[in-house]
Amino acid sequence: MSDDGIDIGGGKTRMEVAYGAGDGDDEAKAIVASKEAELGTIFEQSYRPWDGELGPRWARNYAIYRHHVYGLFRSTGHRHYHPMVRLTIFVILLFSLLPVLMLFLASLSGDGFMADTFSRMWGINRYNLWGQVLGYFPRNLCCWPLLTALVVGGMISDDRKNGTSAIYFSRPVTRLDYTAMKYLSVAVVLGFVIVLSYFVYYTSAIVFNNEGWAYLVDTLPMFVGGLIAGILVVITYTSIGLALSSISQSRFFAAIAFLSVIYGTKLLALLIETQFDTSILYVLSPYDCLAQIGQWLLGIDSNYNHPLAFSLVSIITINAVCIALLAARVSSLEVTRE
Amino acid sequence: MGEEWDGKFVITARNLRKMYGPHLALDDVNLEIPSGAVGILGPNGAGKSTLFKCLLGLITTTSGDGTVLGYDIRTEGDKIRARIGYMPEYDALDPGLSAIDQVRYAGELLGMNPAHATRRAHEVLEYVGLKDQRYRKIETYSTGMKQAAKLACALVHDPDVLICDEPTNGLDQRAREFMLQTLRRTVSEGNRSVLMSSHVMDDVQEVCDRIVMIHNGKIVVQRRIEDLARQIEREIEISVWGGASRMQQELESRGFAVRRLGRVLRVDRVDDSTTRNILEAAVSADVQVRQMQEYEPDLEDIFLLIMEKLGAEVRSTSDLMTAAHTGGDLDE
Repeated sequence: MSDDGIDIGGGKTRMEVAYGAGDGDDEAKAIVASKEAELGTIFEQSYRPWDGELGPRWARNYAIYRHHVYGLFRSTGHRHYHPMVRLTIFVILLFSLLPVLMLFLASLSGDGFMADTFSRMWGINRYNLWGQVLGYFPRNLCCWPLLTALVVGGMISDDRKNGTSAIYFSRPVTRLDYTAMKYLSVAVVLGFVIVLSYFVYYTSAIVFNNEGWAYLVDTLPMFVGGLIAGILVVITYTSIGLALSSISQSRFFAAIAFLSVIYGTKLLALLIETQFDTSILYVLSPYDCLAQIGQWLLGIDSNYNHPLAFSLVSIITINAVCIALLAARVSSLEVTRE
Repeated sequence: MGEEWDGKFVITARNLRKMYGPHLALDDVNLEIPSGAVGILGPNGAGKSTLFKCLLGLITTTSGDGTVLGYDIRTEGDKIRARIGYMPEYDALDPGLSAIDQVRYAGELLGMNPAHATRRAHEVLEYVGLKDQRYRKIETYSTGMKQAAKLACALVHDPDVLICDEPTNGLDQRAREFMLQTLRRTVSEGNRSVLMSSHVMDDVQEVCDRIVMIHNGKIVVQRRIEDLARQIEREIEISVWGGASRMQQELESRGFAVRRLGRVLRVDRVDDSTTRNILEAAVSADVQVRQMQEYEPDLEDIFLLIMEKLGAEVRSTSDLMTAAHTGGDLDE
């Protein structure tokens, strides 16, 4: 080592005696301490080296993704989701697949009034495809926001609360990888319920009604429109949810804040519309912006008076702001606390 | 390892400087740390954590350069972190996971495949003394067990350098001894280097043979502990049985410099005859000498002397400790 500038030559060491040892001039009495019992041990500690190879970047990233997604399916070994959370997500998945059951019942009823009614109510058309993803009740009132709140709660806030960010960033995991994998994990879970249920709904309609290629060609543009709308829902809800998760140490805050953003902006815009007969404030509501874009993608008349461009700009802005907030907050996650 | 690494120093730094806005956190740090166990000492806010972050390649340095295992800390942070095990000061464990899953996940985050990571997690948990508790959830662990689990996470990939930030924080005597023994064994048996920061000088002395001391962002000392101890004036410490004041007067009348606290007296060792002179003084003063030994300065003495030279008002290293160091607010 190189030398230093401090010289402690000639310094005096400190002096200290045990508390209660007296001043040295008193009549001291000898105190004999009893021997402490010794515990036996059968443990033999030995250091074992490891000469394996560490995997590349994708292996580390896959570990993060797997940790968060597998936790939904396995009770141990991965991120812990409360059994009630897992049960609720499963119920939401089943509920989102309810039209499939109705389509199946319709296919059993043969031709006639019943089949016609069932087909209009649950069959494939622009309105039903839009409703499967973007219908306010029950999808965007009861299901998707609740699903998002349950998944994003704690996704990043737990790392801040438990200090587990140190486990990630003291390893060759970059903040970009960390954020991207958390984002992907949430998006995949939401996509599994929202997009997959939409896909199953569409394909089951073809299978149950024994439709052919002509039907597929006719309805595929509508399906793709709805699919894009579904992906937009997943991306937007993931961005908002993760941004909220990154700004606190509480999984409860992230969940409640997400629900508040979705329902609060919708309620505010509804009140303004009722009082002042203008729909412009719906640009603040992520759901309504997505709903209007979805209506355009599926070729449905818009429910809103303001131009579609407002909603498009709003959704882009909301996502950009949330991702910027997420990036800023992840940058502030510490490896060492001071 | 870095392509041009000669293996002489595991860590080097040259004129390393880090500024947070106008605040200078590291001021022209020059380091050359060979393999072995090194204690990083310094009062709170001295720059120890900033130095660790620089060495891990987590923050960009304002100027200067440095290497860890031959890798450049400015451009090869990911390679450094792959070869370093870092044990953070505070809780860094998921309470919902069992220790075996936590350590396995820590290994997977380094790129170990799940099967290797699981096997290795079993090995290191046994090494840190958690073999029987490895399937328990971390939320049920005591502070000592959590510290051991953090050490296991740091050791899972058998790193070349282990950085431990306050490894004995909040531990009771038995857990502390085991932790220090484990770190010593990692150096002696595993041939690994350990960088350990602690406010408990006894702990550092027990594990490390060298220290690096930081004060106000500057490196003020980097040397072997025994070299530093050799610079301090030698004294003979005696414990007397009654009449300590008489003994002090007798020694001072014979021309010895004496310091006294209670019944313990320290007498400057002048030459080989000092011991005989002390015994003669005891006979004259009619006191019993119950214990006499040449006092070996410890790291606490060295630290306090250095702090005194630097003009810092530190009476003992316990002044530097917060409640977290003694386990006071670990649950908060």
